[in-house]
Amino acid sequence: MARVRLENITKRYGEETAVDDISLEVEDGEFVTFVGPSGCGKSTTMETVAGLTQPTEGRVYIGDDDVTTLAPKDRGVAMVFQNIALFPHMDVYENISFGLRLRTYDDEEVRRRVEQAADIVQLEGMLDRMPAEMSGGQQQRVGIARAIVRNPDVFLMDEPLANLDAKLRVHMRTELQRLHRELDATIIYVTHDQAEAMTMSNRIAVLNDGKLQQIAPPLVCYNEPTNRFVAGFIGSPSMNFADGEVVDGGLETSNFTVDLDATRLPAVSVGDTVTLGIRPEDVHLTRYADSLAAPTDPIDARTDVLEPMGDEVFVYLLLAEDVEGSMEEDPATSPNQLLMSVTPDTEIEAGQDVDVVLDRSKIHLFDADTGDALVHGITGLEGPESGTAPTEAE
Amino acid sequence: MTDPTDDTDPTTATDSSATTDSTDGSDGQPRDPTLRRPDGGTVLEDDRDADLDRGPLQQWVADSISHPERVYRAMFYVAAIFFLVTTLFPFYWLLMVALTPEGQLQDIVFTPNGFNPGAFVEVFEVIPFHIYMFNSFVIALASTIVVLVIASLAGYAFGRLEFPGRTPLMLLVLVISFFPPAAFFIPLNDLFNTSFAFLRPITGDGTLYNTPFALVTPLSAIFMPLAIFILTTFYSQIPDGLEDAARVEGTTRLGALFRVIIPLSAPGVATAGVLTFIAVYNEFFFSFLMTDGQPENWAPILDGILAYQGQYQVLYNLMAAASILGVIPVAILVVIAQEKIVSGLTAGALKE
Repeated sequence: MARVRLENITKRYGEETAVDDISLEVEDGEFVTFVGPSGCGKSTTMETVAGLTQPTEGRVYIGDDDVTTLAPKDRGVAMVFQNIALFPHMDVYENISFGLRLRTYDDEEVRRRVEQAADIVQLEGMLDRMPAEMSGGQQQRVGIARAIVRNPDVFLMDEPLANLDAKLRVHMRTELQRLHRELDATIIYVTHDQAEAMTMSNRIAVLNDGKLQQIAPPLVCYNEPTNRFVAGFIGSPSMNFADGEVVDGGLETSNFTVDLDATRLPAVSVGDTVTLGIRPEDVHLTRYADSLAAPTDPIDARTDVLEPMGDEVFVYLLLAEDVEGSMEEDPATSPNQLLMSVTPDTEIEAGQDVDVVLDRSKIHLFDADTGDALVHGITGLEGPESGTAPTEAE
Repeated sequence: MTDPTDDTDPTTATDSSATTDSTDGSDGQPRDPTLRRPDGGTVLEDDRDADLDRGPLQQWVADSISHPERVYRAMFYVAAIFFLVTTLFPFYWLLMVALTPEGQLQDIVFTPNGFNPGAFVEVFEVIPFHIYMFNSFVIALASTIVVLVIASLAGYAFGRLEFPGRTPLMLLVLVISFFPPAAFFIPLNDLFNTSFAFLRPITGDGTLYNTPFALVTPLSAIFMPLAIFILTTFYSQIPDGLEDAARVEGTTRLGALFRVIIPLSAPGVATAGVLTFIAVYNEFFFSFLMTDGQPENWAPILDGILAYQGQYQVLYNLMAAASILGVIPVAILVVIAQEKIVSGLTAGALKE
């Protein structure tokens, strides 16, 4: 097992920059997930660790060794692939033992280790099957067995669950966590599914446009995103955003105003445009908001569509009187819509006029231009006239 | 055309209950079923009446239109028989000539004029034909191996790597394959007759003339582009993930080529190999000119067959027998390779 360090990794394909100056460190035994939308450079970054891609600039260290120019086979890494990549002309035993047979192990040792690996991923009795005779989940377990059988220093997993069906994916998620605990292995995991990233990792590295946005434990990414991209990407459904202007004593968006004493925030001054972010679960109906320590003033809204999920209900709120819910508008970014999640026993129906409040401790402010987070939670930043200013809901 | 009394006739059977009352006394006369049966059964009756007015050709055309699959099947048989006759009849004729005793070669129509299977033994007695066959086999095998190894490397580069100038280079390779081989002959012949000191330990006099190299080298080069083209196509279709997996597991790029890409491209490799082998084995021009025709000087099968043509007589029956014998190794090879190609294709079909 070993730690992995990336130093200023940049990968350019002609004019295109796929990975832009990424530096990060994965500790020994840590499970780090690279997450980001398609084309954000997460797979390319992983390939530079594997040695399948040469970085244009930067160094890769595994343990204490600079492996930047080493061939993949000499790096002590094992990889699990999105398209599974089992060798179709070999049976399961040959697939798992492929790497061992290339090295100088005697047959006895190879068989022992293959059986042990098959045991870990619960593939006993399937060693003489061909990959084509197996289900997707079994194939991916063979892929994982092929990776663990060599006892590598670092596991690289490139969206290993992406091609599995939803139920199997959740199951394999727990299996991978169990595997991580059993092997105590350093794992770098690539996914575009933020749920996978949240549930499995010790830390998440959020990438966008080839740049590292934030690397932090999942809940830190969730609660204190460093910028608007991370805030919007982590969490499902996405955080609500509303652009607004800082005025004297408040933050005015096109549909509501939040009390804010900008003088107490060094990063913000009157006249600045900022983006307010609030997660759906931090929007509450006024009549249920008694328990909130620091609610905002009520905001008038009308319910548009309800999405009952079983354990919670997503309510799409229209903030302006004259707008209709529109397919073209993403509720997360549309200034006129707000997504709220409520418990299923809440009495609410579509087309109803309601008052909602936001939890001030969960409001995030982002710089409207750069997207950088300015402050997480604005409790205690009410202006002196707190509670007396009328809500301008229209 | 339909006999109402024949109960095996399906067209009758379907409406026999309706027609039983209309069969009497209506022979030769146009029937008007609507007069007798105003129920819905007239449509079929109309069809059958129309049939009666058609000649055999019209009838056949109508049948063909309503059952095109019959025509396709007939066309398939015609085409198959045509190709079978044009490819197999020369062999048949060759066999007839071989079986006919020497000196009775006139009057062979479809049977041999006499019966002399001993010609197939005599072939080896008159000249050492087996040595010619061995020479050809070695030359074809060596060329095939050279072609497959080099074309595999080239196919890997062209099919799986991105590098500047890939397409122009590939085109250049293909263009070279369109050169007439005769254009290479004079310079190559000159080259192979030049003595090189470093070749002396291998060839004795330092020239390549009268050695298998004089055939393997130019023939490999001539048939290489086709093999490169075939292998490029096959290798480019192997998913990158498999090669990546092999490389992470511990092979070099070359190792991945030989352990993963080539086994998965077995049909392509078999195709390229068989085509090269047959082409070299059958080649005339260089085979005829790059040796002096003596079996001990690596003369191929071609020189063997022509050796039955003496100054005073031509042993056509032995030439025919030798030709048949010469085909056998290739026929066996193709049958074996065919199996490989088919099994390779099934393995390919199981790929993700």
